[in-house]
Amino acid sequence: MIYLLRHVTAYAYRNPVTQARCLLRLTPAQGDGQRVLSHRIGIDPLPNRRESGRDFFGNATLALTVETPHRAFRIEALSRVEVERMQLPDLASGLSWEEVRERALAVPSLGPDAPVHFTGPSRRVPVVPEVTDYARASFPPGGGAYAGAVDLMRRIRADFAFDATATEVATPLADAFAHRRGVCQDFAHIMIAGLRGLGLPAAYVSGYLRTRPPPGMARLEGADASHAWISVWCGDGWHGLDPTNAIGVEDDHVVVARGRDYADVAPVAGIIAGSGAQTLQVAVDVVPEDGEAAAAG
Amino acid sequence: MSAAAPLAVREAGGETSEAEATRRERRARWCADYRPLPGVPDEMIGPDGAIRPAWDRFLDRLADLAEDEVSARFAAAARHIHNSGMAYRVYGEAAERDWPLGVLPLLIEGAEWAEIAAGVAQRASLMETVLADLYGEAHLVAAGLIPAAAVAASPEFLRPLHGVRQPGGGRQLHLYAADLSRGPDGRWRVLADRTQAPSGTGYALENRMVLARALPEVHGALAVRPLAPFFQAFRDGLAAAAERAEPRIALLTSGPYGDTYVEQAVLARYLGFALVEGDDLTVQDGRLFIRTVAGLKRADVLWRRVDGDFVDPLSLNPASRLGVPGLVEALQAGACVMGNMPGAGLVEGGWLASCLPALAEHLFGEPLRLPGLPTWWCGDPAQRDAVLARADTLTLRPASAPAQGAFTTRAFGLRDPEETGRLFAILRDRPGDLVAQEPVQLSTAPAWDGPGLVPRPFVLRVFAAATPGGWAVMPGGFCRMSEQPDVQPVAMGTGVRAADVWVLADAPADPAAAPMPRLEQAPVRRVSGLLPSRAADNLFWLGRYLERAEAMVRLTICLLSGAGAVPLSEADEGTARRLRGLLHAWGAVPTVVGPAAALAAHALSGREAWGSARTHVLAARRNAASLRERLSVEMWRSLSALLDVLDRPEGTGSEAQWLDRAERALGLGAALSGLAQENMNRAGGWPFVDIGRRIERAINTCRFAGLFAAEAATADDLGLLLQLADSRISYGARYLLGVALAPVRDMVLLDPYNPRSVAFQVERLAEHFAGLPALRQDGLPEPQTRLVRSLAGEIAGTEAAALTPEVAAAWEERLWAIAEAVETRYFPGGSEAARPERLVALA
Repeated sequence: MIYLLRHVTAYAYRNPVTQARCLLRLTPAQGDGQRVLSHRIGIDPLPNRRESGRDFFGNATLALTVETPHRAFRIEALSRVEVERMQLPDLASGLSWEEVRERALAVPSLGPDAPVHFTGPSRRVPVVPEVTDYARASFPPGGGAYAGAVDLMRRIRADFAFDATATEVATPLADAFAHRRGVCQDFAHIMIAGLRGLGLPAAYVSGYLRTRPPPGMARLEGADASHAWISVWCGDGWHGLDPTNAIGVEDDHVVVARGRDYADVAPVAGIIAGSGAQTLQVAVDVVPEDGEAAAAG
Repeated sequence: MSAAAPLAVREAGGETSEAEATRRERRARWCADYRPLPGVPDEMIGPDGAIRPAWDRFLDRLADLAEDEVSARFAAAARHIHNSGMAYRVYGEAAERDWPLGVLPLLIEGAEWAEIAAGVAQRASLMETVLADLYGEAHLVAAGLIPAAAVAASPEFLRPLHGVRQPGGGRQLHLYAADLSRGPDGRWRVLADRTQAPSGTGYALENRMVLARALPEVHGALAVRPLAPFFQAFRDGLAAAAERAEPRIALLTSGPYGDTYVEQAVLARYLGFALVEGDDLTVQDGRLFIRTVAGLKRADVLWRRVDGDFVDPLSLNPASRLGVPGLVEALQAGACVMGNMPGAGLVEGGWLASCLPALAEHLFGEPLRLPGLPTWWCGDPAQRDAVLARADTLTLRPASAPAQGAFTTRAFGLRDPEETGRLFAILRDRPGDLVAQEPVQLSTAPAWDGPGLVPRPFVLRVFAAATPGGWAVMPGGFCRMSEQPDVQPVAMGTGVRAADVWVLADAPADPAAAPMPRLEQAPVRRVSGLLPSRAADNLFWLGRYLERAEAMVRLTICLLSGAGAVPLSEADEGTARRLRGLLHAWGAVPTVVGPAAALAAHALSGREAWGSARTHVLAARRNAASLRERLSVEMWRSLSALLDVLDRPEGTGSEAQWLDRAERALGLGAALSGLAQENMNRAGGWPFVDIGRRIERAINTCRFAGLFAAEAATADDLGLLLQLADSRISYGARYLLGVALAPVRDMVLLDPYNPRSVAFQVERLAEHFAGLPALRQDGLPEPQTRLVRSLAGEIAGTEAAALTPEVAAAWEERLWAIAEAVETRYFPGGSEAARPERLVALA
């Protein structure tokens, strides 16, 4: 499947901003069932400095400095990505979760993929005993690690309500857990906290999900959203699971960045010099290159 | 001559046996109740039960002093500490506390010190090597010597710094510290390693200055090794890492509300580093700059006292307000040097102690010269089993937290049944989060408790600085001693004293060759001429608040005394009413009626009043607190004294007593401006204090003139105005006829030779502006210069007769505009200063 992706982030400021410094993670990941066919990021106003790089986990970054006074700031990322992943693993297969957690402790590597980075608490995902206890029900003694993770994902989908008004980007996961509602970011953080509480490695993944308009309706432009899910390490590698939709990660998901939690992969992180209010608008389009007409028809 | 035979030496000196008997009696009395705890090593009493030679020599010298002399010395030392503002803050407390320095030093013999120093240097090298590996290729992890899980779980493993190599050799550590105590076998051992941003070097320096001053004879006789060469080495080490000669070094402070800010100010002043907060710095074009009144100045080296995770809100902790956006990018680009590297705190984690013995063998082929505490990392199955087998005799603690031995890290107690269940749950689910250690019993050293010596638990912090030639270990250190006889490791807080650490040279000093006091007090470098915009802002407001307080004190004196030589007549209520009205309008008194003494109490010492002299002095001191490294000890002392005079309970005292207080306050204020004038480094920012003072004085004088020099002004009005403007004597010398409107106006507003007149202030402002750095390159005057020149011109062309209150009010307006132009041009809030008013994170 080939997707055309458009991700627009637009800020408007009441007072002029004299300096802005940003770190972007908007470039889709290469490899692991994905191929980036083309990609570019447009910035308005033009930045004084623009430096591409990679972060510790191998995600593509773009560091910007804008020193032109401005009242509006717009970032537009356009990508064309081919996705073709392997099949989901068999639920009955794999190591027991107790075995996985012992192995995770013993892997002698600090490489970006090493499970050790994803077992400890991180900035946005502390160990919360209540969440650990919630997760424990999915992991009976001797149970498979992957099967347990899938069960936990399904329970989160069943027990939690999707509610875009319940939380903000900065809401602590313990709050979202207590209220049993939130958005994809909250569900991913909660699932990660549960897995890590038991000693299982879990990563946060940011990206996009193809949405299918209701039958007979056209896809609304800009109506898609950036999405987040998790990836769990089961001793044999990493497996993507999407607790918001209770599905495994296949060809409908496009991976952008991977880290320990949202703080590692925020699409746009920045600091501006200025005072006064700001507003933010985000528009995302995930369009299958050859599927649009079919879906609409 | 040897330490073992002090008696013979003194007899050769011809002392009387009576003096000798007194001394022996004193010594015996001081030590009569000294009983080390059973099984706990002690510094004064050796394992053989005999007093150690160093302490023997020390007590002999101390016993030369009579008891009341000893206590007088220590009282003087305590006063010195209070007056010099040497203080610390307990985390979470707003007020600073005086530094609690114990009166006895910790003594360490040269030979023993050599062992300690070698051990500390070895550990510093180990830490450096381990950090370089973990932030690089991680060979030690692949070799199984360091558990990857323990590293990766640490909040101090700062991934954006991975693979970053600093210029000048890629060094991670510039300053390392170890907290030491003696183990049960009497050997020194390390309780904790400090690699984040070790504190205590400045306190060690201050402790030495105070103690060497309190006990010069004893200090001199014992041949105590000086500290200054260590600081020189540390400075040289930082400078050597920079890319250019004579690099600019800045100390990145956690700010005036941090717990060790005073220490940081002391160090900045002593080492000649610019003391900067995150807001003082900016990264532009990938390079690090300090925002100064002369524009952006390149910073080559940053010594941070801010935790690594907080140095850059963009790449690291987004919640930080202490850092510099883009700093990590500058480090990645190799554009500046930082000591210690952010992320160096990683190796403070307790887990490392479980690997260190093997690492020393693997990396250096030698055993650890200073052992650490026996430690087990529970993430390793074999170690976990060992812990479970004897869990009731061990202490469990978070693996990533700094190890025991310094500022409080609470240990989990396995003896607490409620915690036991929780701990075993962690041991089962997340065993890598815990380390187990044997409980620590601190060894003891003598403390002075009034009548004599008592053994008290202590922790000794020893420092090592990286230099191009290897590690330089400070011959001395920072010792914290508990006031309780038996405690767990101590933090600086209630019930803890600091002690100076005397490392004795092998040979006793020749008193003639080494005159006292030693060179500790001589600064290594002078303060650089660099003036950060934020410091200029604080200096300006220090000047303004001091002048504002002075004006309030003068108004109060007028209120209490009438207009002095020109008495305020009883009949004229107008003058008094105007005076009281002004006090009310300026927020100094709650009402205009009532006895003068009550109003004076409000105006001078009011706690609620926003315009009382006390409120202004408090504000001045807040500004001064951020300027510690720029103000002399005398200035700080005068400011404290001024506050002490004003800081009296309201509503007490007669008019005469309040008048006396006001006059003392005036005297202290004058002393302060004298000190600023005489002592402050011109390059270090004095002009901004003076600009603040002059603007404020000119504004106040315009206001006074508007009120008391109107067309209908009475003789009392004019007399009062002369008193407020402190111009009675000059006036009396010039005009023999008594007060008249035009001459008074001329003297107070226009006379360029009267140092209190508005004209005089404006001329000084014009001079200051001309002397300050200009940013414009087109040769046009900057706004503040233009405004002040135009006002000066108008004043020069004005005649006293035409000087109505409206004119005075218009001049006051223009002075406010000048103040605003100064702020805009030079201070952080100003748009020209290229600094954000406030940093906002993008949503």
